Amino acid sequence: METVRNNTSIQNKKQTDTSLNKTVWRWHFYAGIIFAPFLIILAVTGSIYLFKPQIEQVLYQEYYEVNPQGDKIPASRQIEEVKNLYPDAVVTQYRPGENATRSSEVSITSHDKSLTIFIDPYTGKSIGELNNEDRIMNIIEEIHGELMAGTLGDRIVELVACWAVVLIVTGLFLWYPKKKQNLFGILIPRLNKGKKILRRDLHAVPAFWITAGMLFLIMTGLPWSGFWGSNFQSLATNSGEGYPPSVWLGSAPTSTIKTKDIADVPWASENLDVPKSEIQGFIPLSIDNVVGIANREGMHPSYTVNIPNEKEGVYTLSAFPPKAQDEATMHIDQYSGAVLADYRYDNYGLIGKIVAWGITLHKGTQFGLINQLASLLICLGIILVAVSGFYLWLKRKPKKEMGAPKAPSIKKMKLFLILLIGLGILFPLVGLSLSVVWLIDWLIIQRISVIKRFMNA
Amino acid sequence: MKKNICISLIFIFSLLLSACSLEQDVANLYKKEKPLESEIVIPESFSENKQETIKVVLTQDGKKVEGADYVHFEIWKQDGSLNYNMEKAEEDGNGTYSLSKEFDSEGLYYIKIHASNDGSIIMPQKQFIVGELSKSELEFLQKGLEKNDESSHEHHH
Repeated sequence: METVRNNTSIQNKKQTDTSLNKTVWRWHFYAGIIFAPFLIILAVTGSIYLFKPQIEQVLYQEYYEVNPQGDKIPASRQIEEVKNLYPDAVVTQYRPGENATRSSEVSITSHDKSLTIFIDPYTGKSIGELNNEDRIMNIIEEIHGELMAGTLGDRIVELVACWAVVLIVTGLFLWYPKKKQNLFGILIPRLNKGKKILRRDLHAVPAFWITAGMLFLIMTGLPWSGFWGSNFQSLATNSGEGYPPSVWLGSAPTSTIKTKDIADVPWASENLDVPKSEIQGFIPLSIDNVVGIANREGMHPSYTVNIPNEKEGVYTLSAFPPKAQDEATMHIDQYSGAVLADYRYDNYGLIGKIVAWGITLHKGTQFGLINQLASLLICLGIILVAVSGFYLWLKRKPKKEMGAPKAPSIKKMKLFLILLIGLGILFPLVGLSLSVVWLIDWLIIQRISVIKRFMNA
Repeated sequence: MKKNICISLIFIFSLLLSACSLEQDVANLYKKEKPLESEIVIPESFSENKQETIKVVLTQDGKKVEGADYVHFEIWKQDGSLNYNMEKAEEDGNGTYSLSKEFDSEGLYYIKIHASNDGSIIMPQKQFIVGELSKSELEFLQKGLEKNDESSHEHHH
């Protein structure tokens, strides 16, 4: 300030610069305090979920591994065994197992529980059952994806992800060097300039380093969120450049056979004089035929068959193996065995391919261990930045206030306002929450002086 | 100003929400299969000591299939007392393929068509009744359709 005291025009510019700085800082401050705890939850659960393949391999080794001996018995007999063991169950899925030492899985719904029954395909005997709700990785996934709070949780996670983008943008602005400075404090923390500067650098410098990774995890995670993701996927699919329908969104095709041509079971009639027309008709294919078709069409061996439980339904085969290029979704007519749709990675549109890669990279499966470790590093970085940011606030906070920088009226910050509205349109949940923040500010904070003083509004 | 922002935000949200659903014929934008469709025609009545003709009408991509790669019929009785192995069907033209056989024994029958054309392979299976059902056949039907034993029959490919 000293040097520009005499020059009013420069001083004015400087003033808007500092007030812009304060506004950005204020948004970064509140967004950080509100969303840091959620970011930590997401980073911790994400770090664990990254290693799902290894963890489940250890946890469920006894269920997964079988001794190959002779030929595998047909899928129909394996499912028959499950039906004998669970007479009331509805069989929903069959997974043949991707190699010779992997057990096959039959998924059933029994008394409102979803169970997976592991079968030794060489003996046809059950190895054991797992209740899907009890599987630790399912719980971790549920926390990571929806905080175990259903649709509301899903929206909160999405909001956190979107606001994390706001945090990144405002954070980068605050980090961006205002005057010529060497790399210390920008790319390398200043260790010997006193505690205050060290605290700031331990937040801002690592935050810059993980920015790209964090943004990558957010942008690759968003497509499977419930609101932004569904809309994004719909738009992409409708444009012809996304996933083909039914791979992510949209229903499977229906059977080419007309319902009236399908054979009925003569349930009630005790006499032999049943109406022939009802019994005569098409009957469903055996699952063994479906397995045969899958082999013929070169389905990835890790596929799962969804078994139709309705007349109009189709067999849906899907494989989402570690690498995006191996993905496949196939629908087979349950009466004729015709392949109704067969979508491989190569049939995805450009956006679909990018999203598919994003998902396998996000899950850490695309490049195996290297991928997992890189993602883990980003997660640990997010935790460090969230914690150090929180610590920074605790240390700077005056006793009776939040310690937020003073807010100039947003209307003076045209550029910042436009940026926020832009983000609000790109991420409608951000826009929605911004509107709520404005309403709260206008209706409550600005009208009650104690709160106004506390929030430094 | 605030009011305008509110109104435009509401407008944008409703726009985004309405974009939420997939278009009906969106599958046309992606790779499409041309599945064979079949209509299996079983005679209304069967008479003794006379050959009866079973027909299948094949359509693909909305057109009748002429000169299919192959059309084979496989016919057997549920109780195992009769078994006509896989046999090539005659092409009658206009997408129709047929095979004539004797059906002297009453009861529950199955026919499986193995057909292929232009990359689509189908194997639809139909059950039909000649004359009257026996008690054991009715019981079999009531136990559920999927339990019919296919393993005793040879298969294509």
